[in-house]
Amino acid sequence: MNMLKQILKDRLAGVSLFIVAITIAAGAFAPWLAPHDPNHIHMELRYAGPSWDFPLGNDHLGRDVLSRLIFGIRPSVLYVFAALLASVCMGAIVGFIAGYFRGRTDAVLMRVVDAMLSFPGYVLTLALIGMLGVGLENILIAFVLSKWAWFARIIRTSVMQIAETDYIKYSKTIGVGHLSIMARHIVPVSLPDIAVIASSAFGSMVLQISGFSFLGLGIQAPHAEWGMMLNEARTVMFSKPELMLAPGLTIILVVSAINFLSDALQGALDPKLMSSKAKFQARTAVSAARLQGKEVA
Amino acid sequence: MRKSWFTLIAGCMVLAVMLGGCSGTQAGSKEATNEAAHETPQESPQELVYAAAKDLIDMNPHVYAGSNSAQGMVYESLVEHTEEGIKPLLAESWEISGDGKSYTFHLRKDVNFHDGEPFNAEAVKLNIDAVQRNAKKHAWIKLSTKLTDVLVIDTHTVELVLSEPYYPTLNELSFTRPYVFVSPRNFIDGETKDGLNGYSGTGPYKLVEHKVDQQAVFEANEAYWGGSPAIKKITGKVLPAGETTFLALQKGEVNFVFTDDRGTDSIDVDAMTNLTDAGDYQIVRSKPMNTKMIVANSSQTNSPVHERAVRQAIWQAIDRETISKQIFSGTEPAAYTLFSSNVKYADVDLPQRGYDPEAARKLLEEAGWKLANGQEVRTKNGSKLTMKLYYDANSSSQKTQAEFIQHELKEIGMRLELVGEESTSVAKRRSAGDYELLFNQTWGLAYDPQSTIAAFTSESSYLHTTKGIARADELYDKIADVTVSMDETTRKSLYADILNIVHEEAVFIPLTNGGVTIVAPQSLQGIGFKQTQYELPFEKMNFNP
Repeated sequence: MNMLKQILKDRLAGVSLFIVAITIAAGAFAPWLAPHDPNHIHMELRYAGPSWDFPLGNDHLGRDVLSRLIFGIRPSVLYVFAALLASVCMGAIVGFIAGYFRGRTDAVLMRVVDAMLSFPGYVLTLALIGMLGVGLENILIAFVLSKWAWFARIIRTSVMQIAETDYIKYSKTIGVGHLSIMARHIVPVSLPDIAVIASSAFGSMVLQISGFSFLGLGIQAPHAEWGMMLNEARTVMFSKPELMLAPGLTIILVVSAINFLSDALQGALDPKLMSSKAKFQARTAVSAARLQGKEVA
Repeated sequence: MRKSWFTLIAGCMVLAVMLGGCSGTQAGSKEATNEAAHETPQESPQELVYAAAKDLIDMNPHVYAGSNSAQGMVYESLVEHTEEGIKPLLAESWEISGDGKSYTFHLRKDVNFHDGEPFNAEAVKLNIDAVQRNAKKHAWIKLSTKLTDVLVIDTHTVELVLSEPYYPTLNELSFTRPYVFVSPRNFIDGETKDGLNGYSGTGPYKLVEHKVDQQAVFEANEAYWGGSPAIKKITGKVLPAGETTFLALQKGEVNFVFTDDRGTDSIDVDAMTNLTDAGDYQIVRSKPMNTKMIVANSSQTNSPVHERAVRQAIWQAIDRETISKQIFSGTEPAAYTLFSSNVKYADVDLPQRGYDPEAARKLLEEAGWKLANGQEVRTKNGSKLTMKLYYDANSSSQKTQAEFIQHELKEIGMRLELVGEESTSVAKRRSAGDYELLFNQTWGLAYDPQSTIAAFTSESSYLHTTKGIARADELYDKIADVTVSMDETTRKSLYADILNIVHEEAVFIPLTNGGVTIVAPQSLQGIGFKQTQYELPFEKMNFNP
């Protein structure tokens, strides 16, 4: 609760949180919220402009753009979120084991992580799609398989710091079991760290899945997905440029909101950063640069 | 806090201005390109630069990898297929013996290959013999299986001897390949099947430069027997289809675009209209030349597509009028038979099978495909009614049609998975039989119906499509009979039977009648078409002075 208050102090973060929450809710309740069936075709309304019935107009098959945007939240945001959770869980397990037990276990696990991290993310994902075939499920699987190593590495560092503290040493001395030390003393402390790194990866994953769908590797027709909607609009880019606006702006808005929120989260969890405005902005710039670096990779 | 709000709002406004600016600059740039495009033809009024989605790959006309339209500019055949029938080209005249087994051609005497080598009876014999030695590749063209001998009578007379009479002989000699002539000096060890060391034909243009996946440059053949063509230089540029080609046209980087070999228009209909509205370009459409269709692989025995009822149901579930009106903006009429009735021998009375989803549902019910409560896809003995449809990923109209058909089939309880691939890979699937449904088209007026029908029996074409139908053997017998029949009435009735069988079996599901579309500079005159969708008569075009 305290954390939430901290975040809401920053209005930009408040707006971001609002956007993300609305998006997730809209995705979850898509069948009730969407005014039309997203896959229903009205050929006579091909490329029709906005109207009362179809507030954002119709696409190349006369399907309702608004309904497709809303249903597109599911693969573009919700399923990505699920994949994120899965890879964070995998990363957390490995990170905890490596960071807590150290020694040989740590060395072996970290060499595996090194091996995974030595492949550029996009290349690894493309290679996995090449093996498993195109489709949303396969991209999500590829995400989980390629991203856990990064989480493992960061979570390990965080766990190592905590494991050095006196109260953990004391618990060990009085003979508390490893599992219960981890569950009761380490997880609660490292959770904020995990939340921060997970949220900063979220934005780039949303962008990536839209990118893959744009290339036709992601979700298959007729299902709606933002990247695919952009690709469909691309063929009429010069005769009907307005069709690119709806999916394009939605992607910008949601990804920006996620990134702002992630920065605010970082600030809220680390009071040192909140103490000085200048530092916070410097931090934002750094994390933006970091994100860009990831995109390039 | 207040400040950060201000930044956010300012940021949004900048974004909005930029987006608004996008549409503004588009209008502005249109005017700019008007001028640019006006200038381009003035600077070099005799040049055409066309956009092609693919490289020309191989100029050897005795195999099939290369681009038809490029080969059509460089090489010529003995006779030409025109609207009025077969006309002389490299042969001035010919005689057919009474038994239909011997064709004597009198060759033009003033023809030389691009490398200066004379075109004569010896060159004809060398070329045809080289083709015949690679007969396996040419199985689709039945003449290759009947041609037994090429005799040189004198320098400019040559006789082709057939094993049995074959009425489409002249037709097949008119095709862009394989019976066209390459300078014998370009042969490697007397053969053409393993490549050539040069590409000298007799045609109006010669290939002067070829950069793989970039461009090919053709220059007018000044010594062309039909007179040097008015347009002196033609460049084919490899550009991705769609917006890239459109932008290139706007900028004047290319000034000519046409429907490619595999029936793909690289620019969408509305964008084309945009171009002509600006006043620099004209659109010329040929008369309908072929039938665009979905080909069903009847030989896939473990797939629902093997069943006639399923194929007929697909046929009846597709609303072709909507495809024609909405997707093609009325430029391509709906097709209800494999060949339109203006094709020779194809004016046959076939049972009407139009758009009728109710009848389609009934067909599926009767065939045992039942829709369980709450299900979207019909099942039979535990297997689902799902199929894959392959389309050319470069063709936006095929994708739109595919999605539309997917929706219509869903209405009758059939699920269609759409797979977009490169056209070459779709073509490979057709010859390997590795598909259930795919987009295809008949081969055009010069080939329809005789060669397209002969290709029903050829593995590289439609053998897999027709092999699995109930009356396959009867069909193949009739196809074998029709080509050797000397009598017009039997021929007619045999073609009627053949068309009836494939119509009944619904292995070729027609969609629309397509043609060739050209986008060309406003000042280009003499734009015409040949009887085939595969090439264009560039030599007849010229720029308005």
